[in-house]
Amino acid sequence: MFTSLRFDITLLLPDRPGELLRALEPIAKCGGNIISIIHDRNKVSSNYAIVSLVADFPSRKNFLMAKKSLEKQGISIAKSEEVVEKETFNVIIIGEVDINELFEENEIQILEAEISRPTTGEQSLKLNFEVPKEKAEKAMDKLKKFGEERDLLLITPM
Amino acid sequence: MRLSVVGFGFIGKSLVKAIKRKIDFLRELDRDFKVVGVFDSKGGVLSSSGLNLERLSIIEALPQYGEEYTNNLSVLDALREGAIDIMVEATPTNIDTGEPGLTYIREALKSGVNVVTANKGPLVLSYWELMELASKRRVQLLHEATVAAALPIFSLYKRCLQADRIQRISGILNGTTNYILSKMYFEGASFELALKEAQERGYAERDPSYDIDGIDAACKLVILGNAILGKKFTFKDVKRIGIRRVTPEAMALAKKSGYAIKLVGVVDDKPEVSPKMVPITHPLCVHGNLNAVHFETDLAGGVTIVGYGAGKETVSALLNDIIAILKSA
Repeated sequence: MFTSLRFDITLLLPDRPGELLRALEPIAKCGGNIISIIHDRNKVSSNYAIVSLVADFPSRKNFLMAKKSLEKQGISIAKSEEVVEKETFNVIIIGEVDINELFEENEIQILEAEISRPTTGEQSLKLNFEVPKEKAEKAMDKLKKFGEERDLLLITPM
Repeated sequence: MRLSVVGFGFIGKSLVKAIKRKIDFLRELDRDFKVVGVFDSKGGVLSSSGLNLERLSIIEALPQYGEEYTNNLSVLDALREGAIDIMVEATPTNIDTGEPGLTYIREALKSGVNVVTANKGPLVLSYWELMELASKRRVQLLHEATVAAALPIFSLYKRCLQADRIQRISGILNGTTNYILSKMYFEGASFELALKEAQERGYAERDPSYDIDGIDAACKLVILGNAILGKKFTFKDVKRIGIRRVTPEAMALAKKSGYAIKLVGVVDDKPEVSPKMVPITHPLCVHGNLNAVHFETDLAGGVTIVGYGAGKETVSALLNDIIAILKSA
């Protein structure tokens, strides 16, 4: 399966004809596939036009090569970051769980946590968390293992 | 065709009543159709000229049929005599040994008799052995009633999804647990209270472990996996977590987020039955003692059927299997 990495790049280009083409060339040469591009000439400041683009690269190395090539040409890069697609999950955990340990041992970013401690019976905890899409399956497996090792009941969405 | 019913409990009695009700239709398909034998655990009635359906329909226990009732008469005797063409096997499920149903089914198939069963035990233990035996003797072994009773799961698969590849089957396969969890969802009841009410209403047994620990649902997953996905699953292949630990607080947290907690069985390469958060908009999110089965297929996408998975509705599946045999004869 072909996989690629997606990057969000913002360039500051001199407001002159041909500058956009000059900037796109090294991206294409380094294997970048442009998904979207916004060249808003209404937002020209100090004779620079802001160009925002999203491009897929075969690897991080290809992206870094394109970045280096752009810099070499004197093109100013205001922003360049990988776009990480994230998945959000809800999980209910029944049983005594050490929240700190849960956060430490699982690579998940908690968005919301709600806990219900009845006077009798087991504690119930609902977590809403997100993980990078490509790591989602692994993260869920790890969380399930965490639960099994501690005799917790994990109720995941179907 | 000459039919015998083995087992005169709730299902056996309900089936006899349904046959009486539909007898004209059955005789349109086969003018010689008759019920020649009915057996309970201690004996039976057998008559080559056919039994009196009217009388069979009103009695509570088989000995009340009259002096024709013979102690120690078994369906095995009828099989040896070559007295039957279709055997409906409705004895209680035993998932440890499959008996007595397993022996009855095996012997019937060996004798070249078609079998219709509502009994999960023999199929969970010996699905492929029995199917191969049926194929060898060129008879049918139909078991629509074994999974989600009245829901036409195997018929739907065999007749309506012939071009599809079934990728996964998931379902609410146990009415008792669904009743308990629905009570917890709608009324905030504790598990213990909801179970007690299910027992009082006759939905749950005094020993409810077969339902609430997911044993019943796991058996159904084995049959679904073998019959529809062509797997060679046994009971121990199913990862199983029951609903005993589901708290009303957990249910409330799920409800607040747009989910209900349900005991869901899923069968693909790794069969599993466990409590799951089911979005309330998902077609599987049925309540009360309803069952639901969801097929994921490559052509039709998702197909869901909903209905009653236990009780007198089971006879619909048994009769459908009997009719399928009559039509193919």
